[in-house]
Amino acid sequence: MSSEIDEYNGGSVLAMLGKNCVAIASDKRFGMKLMTLGTEFPKIFQATDKIYIAMAGLATDIQTLSELIRYKINMYKLREEREIEPTTLAYMVASTLYERRFSPYYVSPLIAGLDKNNKPYICNMDLIGCVTTTNDFVVGGAADDCLLGTCEALYEPDLEPEDLFETISQSLISAVDRNAASGWGAVVHVLTPERVITRTLKTRQD
Amino acid sequence: MECLFGLVGKDFAITVSDATSIQSIVVMKHTEDKSRNLNKHIIMLYAGEPGDTVNFAEYIQRNVRFYEIKNGIELSPQAAAKFTRRQVAESLRSRQPYSVNLLIAGYDVKTEASQLYWIDYLGSLIEIPFAAHGYGAYYVTSVLDRYYYPQISLDEAKVLIKKCIDELKTRFFINLSNFKIKVSNKDGIQEIVL
Amino acid sequence: MTQRLELPKGGFNFENYQRNVALEQQGLKLPTPTKTGTTVVGIIFKDGVVLGADTRSTAGSIVQDKNCDKIRYMAPNVYCCGAGTAADTQFTNSLICSQLELHRLATGRETRVCTALTLVKQMLFKYQGHVSAALILGGYDVTGPRLLAVAPHGSTDKLPYLVMGSGSYAAIAILENRWKKDLERQEAIDLVQEAIEAGIFNDLGSGSDVNITIIEKGKVDNIKGYARPNRREPKCRSYKFARGSTATLNLSAVTVTEGDAMDTS
Repeated sequence: MSSEIDEYNGGSVLAMLGKNCVAIASDKRFGMKLMTLGTEFPKIFQATDKIYIAMAGLATDIQTLSELIRYKINMYKLREEREIEPTTLAYMVASTLYERRFSPYYVSPLIAGLDKNNKPYICNMDLIGCVTTTNDFVVGGAADDCLLGTCEALYEPDLEPEDLFETISQSLISAVDRNAASGWGAVVHVLTPERVITRTLKTRQD
Repeated sequence: MECLFGLVGKDFAITVSDATSIQSIVVMKHTEDKSRNLNKHIIMLYAGEPGDTVNFAEYIQRNVRFYEIKNGIELSPQAAAKFTRRQVAESLRSRQPYSVNLLIAGYDVKTEASQLYWIDYLGSLIEIPFAAHGYGAYYVTSVLDRYYYPQISLDEAKVLIKKCIDELKTRFFINLSNFKIKVSNKDGIQEIVL
Repeated sequence: MTQRLELPKGGFNFENYQRNVALEQQGLKLPTPTKTGTTVVGIIFKDGVVLGADTRSTAGSIVQDKNCDKIRYMAPNVYCCGAGTAADTQFTNSLICSQLELHRLATGRETRVCTALTLVKQMLFKYQGHVSAALILGGYDVTGPRLLAVAPHGSTDKLPYLVMGSGSYAAIAILENRWKKDLERQEAIDLVQEAIEAGIFNDLGSGSDVNITIIEKGKVDNIKGYARPNRREPKCRSYKFARGSTATLNLSAVTVTEGDAMDTS
């Protein structure tokens, strides 16, 4: 699943579904193969008040694609005069990726958000835009196989925002500690209908 | 084999580039300037494929200048860095991509703060307190990681830069004899000697 | 310095191709797209068609999705099972699906399965197998029950029972043995279930549940999880962490303010 390209700049992302809430998290490493250069590399982007996109993979593509998606979201907002919905955004990103079916961006995006009825939604996609929508958790990046393991063990349905934060944080920390290309701090956003709570986690620095 | 590095301090950014010009196994020059000033406050250091580097740097330099003439405002280091990243990323998708690694350092007159940006030939951009390119980066980053602290003063930064250069001179297998050091602060860009 | 970004006009974009070749030449191994692995089958019975599929999608040996839907809507009377690269089956399906919708609006007639088939095979042949979607199309139109299949290069089959995907060997064994003409509805469903289960248990690329769709004259039955032979036992105890378990550095909360609701009256 994760390949050498995922390890080039490193980094991992994760999103989880809770009870009327969603959480999305990423580590903060930016590196070049084995050398860590930055520890404040954002991999989570705000799409709307209630939708976040996380991307792991090749840093240049994360930046180029996030700029392209931001442009498309803004164009959507201007044309439709309303905020984009999570599913619409998912297929917008997926089409952008599938358009480059034969020359892909090396990214694995996740989308987490609440729709207009505040129903939580998460999905991930592969590098050519195959959308996978689940009702538990989605992962991506260099430590994706580790993350699947930790999430599979620690996740349980219908967690309250506070409990969801603990579960997603511990899942992420456990996984990135076993992946050399990820770590150096982490950010967790918990999205509820009322507010978005952003926390920075204290993690290992090696 | 080239080495670029830099750091940001309290109200300045300092950059170092090796001054050696190498062609295959011959050292052609000990006084090569691997930097361009994008405007009064922004320094851009470059390393990579010879020919690509100077061409690309001057392309950026002139476009930044053009923007400033057209719009009558000075570009911030962040704006210059983001523009440069996009140019690298787009050139990467062409038949003849530029192979250039860059550092962009400067003093932002508006926010009265200094910034340093690291850009690689793939078009990845990060803002960091200290940065390095090339094989020398393996030595320099660990020295900087050990001794750097935010809000470092210019005098102490000079001492730290000296430490990095000494480390390169003792441990790096290529003899980088000469370095060009530049400082950008609110008064503009000066070249200094340690 | 200002650049204009153009929205895509359709078709594939090759802008990253040169760069990706350069990266590959550096010796970096490139990521693999999600595959469906898959066992999908379709059979004709006395008065309709039964389609069946497993629900596992894989990327290498990792199970990407434990419960994905591989039987997709194409037209009100046509459904489609996909195998191959997941994104290719998804996008081929939705592309053809929208073309069929427009065709129905233009002609005012019910879609024929062979129309769908022709559109798919022409598209796949155009891409010379690079779009790796293998589809089984099942439906009921003016000509009666129809079951057709398309391979990634665009070749097609018309048979009374069809299988595709990595689990096809396991499934075809069941069908070869048990299929006969004019099966009753329930017999057909049971047969499809058994064929899919053969794939689920004997092929690593297939797994989880059996989804079944029955298409008859003027009637479609979509049964998600017709059989669930692989339920995970629920956890007997909770792994919930006590609140405050995770060490944090800082916290910030942004209150979401809802804008005025749009007047749609």
